[in-house]
Amino acid sequence: MDIQSQDKSQVRLKGVKEGFYVTLDPTLPQVFLEEELTRLFNQLQHLASNSRVILDIGETQNRQDVVESLTAFLKNKYHVKSVSAPQREQQMTEDKPRKLDMPGNWHQHHTDALIIAGRVRSGQKISAKKHLVILGDVNPGSEIIAGGDILIMGNLGGTALAGQPDNEDAIILAIGFKPIQIQIGGIIAAGLPTSSAHTIEFAHVENQGIIVENYIKANPFGRLTWPVVR
Amino acid sequence: MAGGSLKRCALEGKIIVITSGKGGVGKTTATASIGAALALEGKQVAVVDMDIGLRNLDVVMGLENRIVFNIVDAVKGKCKIKQAAIKDRRIENLYLIPASQSDNKDILNPEAMVRFCKELRKEFDYVLLDCPAGIERGFENSVAPADEAVVICTPEISSVRDADRVIGLLYARSITPKLIVNRIVPEMVEKGDMLSHEDVVEVLSIELLGLVEMDSQVIISTNTGVPLVLQKESSAGQAFRRIAMRLNGQKNLPIEIPQSSKSFWKRVGQKIGIGK
Ligand SMILES: Nc1ncnc2c1ncn2[C@@H]1O[C@H](COP(=O)(O)OP(=O)(O)O)[C@@H](O)[C@H]1O
Ligand SMILES: [Mg+2]
Repeated sequence: MDIQSQDKSQVRLKGVKEGFYVTLDPTLPQVFLEEELTRLFNQLQHLASNSRVILDIGETQNRQDVVESLTAFLKNKYHVKSVSAPQREQQMTEDKPRKLDMPGNWHQHHTDALIIAGRVRSGQKISAKKHLVILGDVNPGSEIIAGGDILIMGNLGGTALAGQPDNEDAIILAIGFKPIQIQIGGIIAAGLPTSSAHTIEFAHVENQGIIVENYIKANPFGRLTWPVVR
Repeated sequence: MAGGSLKRCALEGKIIVITSGKGGVGKTTATASIGAALALEGKQVAVVDMDIGLRNLDVVMGLENRIVFNIVDAVKGKCKIKQAAIKDRRIENLYLIPASQSDNKDILNPEAMVRFCKELRKEFDYVLLDCPAGIERGFENSVAPADEAVVICTPEISSVRDADRVIGLLYARSITPKLIVNRIVPEMVEKGDMLSHEDVVEVLSIELLGLVEMDSQVIISTNTGVPLVLQKESSAGQAFRRIAMRLNGQKNLPIEIPQSSKSFWKRVGQKIGIGK
């Protein structure tokens, strides 16, 4: 898969288990949105037809008109099977967030994470069922694998596989991001350009490709209005 | 000839394996030089060639023509340790136990080596095992009896990768290894054409024992038979002497960083590596 540099396109597409997840800003001109969708869906080729599309226009917008016209557009041009709105965990009623805000409530939530400290050396392999957190460096020649996210509080020089086998929502984050190869879900990126030392970067999947971005600048989770369990 | 009088030591000696993963990085050179330097410090030293089938420690030490028995004979009980240990021609208290040239590595096994080294401990203060390349049987045989390990690495990516692998395997056996970076060419490091020792230590992050420069005296010494550590002119020889002193307990001896001849001052770095 190709690697894109920091390309903050306003229409984003990613593969999910059910089909394709499209995020866009409904306030943009209709013509522009259709152009962008054409660009992205053309890349999908035969995969587009009969696929299920989830169309995410953000939370605050009430633009059913845009949804309808784009649904018609996708169905006509790419023969997608269905276009639906995302199932939103964050779409909560007024008192649900308040409940979540209560300190004790988080005890009911949990997520699996394997947290380990120390250096992972060449020839060593670590795999975690879900998330993997490493406090230390991951040396070239080693391999780390996770069902969910991989967070490395140190240098990543080895091979990292997150979201195995098919979770393209997973991310790989490291303080020194210089892996030999990474994979998220089924998407592989080899020969990543080496980045400057000690900036926190993370890799994620966007438009069927792996993108590496500065974590602080991109702030990928900053737009979640409420903390959610990963 | 083989033998001579071996003094008994009051305390049990230390078994140190010299290893690297990759071949041709300087294990044999380091074993001969550190062994000689420890003997010059007044210790009873045996250097053991564990490269069964590809022996060359004897050649480097110029003792090739004195071999009668070898390590396989000694381990199998066909001769006494005294008979297999060849006394060095120049340096007192230094002995070589040569490898067998005709056998293959499977002739020895880790248990037999542990038993054999138990005997060696009684006779010597230091026993240095020159480990063969690779991480197979020869490595297992050399590591099994070791109390300590010295990992040799050159400033090349492939050498660092292999050293890292070996360090992991040593830690898995509860041995804490120490590092020597060999064949450093300061001019190349200064130009950015060679990894610096800092780069190497950053990845391997183990205690640094010393830095050894690329030195033509190494080859000259192999040809003339004069031990490297006896050559005052040899920067590598002098580096190995300081490494031996550090191994022998002088922990605070500063680590000298090889400099290109155009530099005026010898930079001295003390805070390099872990645990310093
Ligand atoms: N510091 C050095 N400077 C120059 N040549 C060296 C140095 N160290 C090792 N060599 C040379 O490199 C080659 C390999 O060294 P050797 O000690 O036999 O490695 P190993 O035992 O790890 O295979 C030999 O020809 C040796 O003379
Ligand atoms: Mg050798």
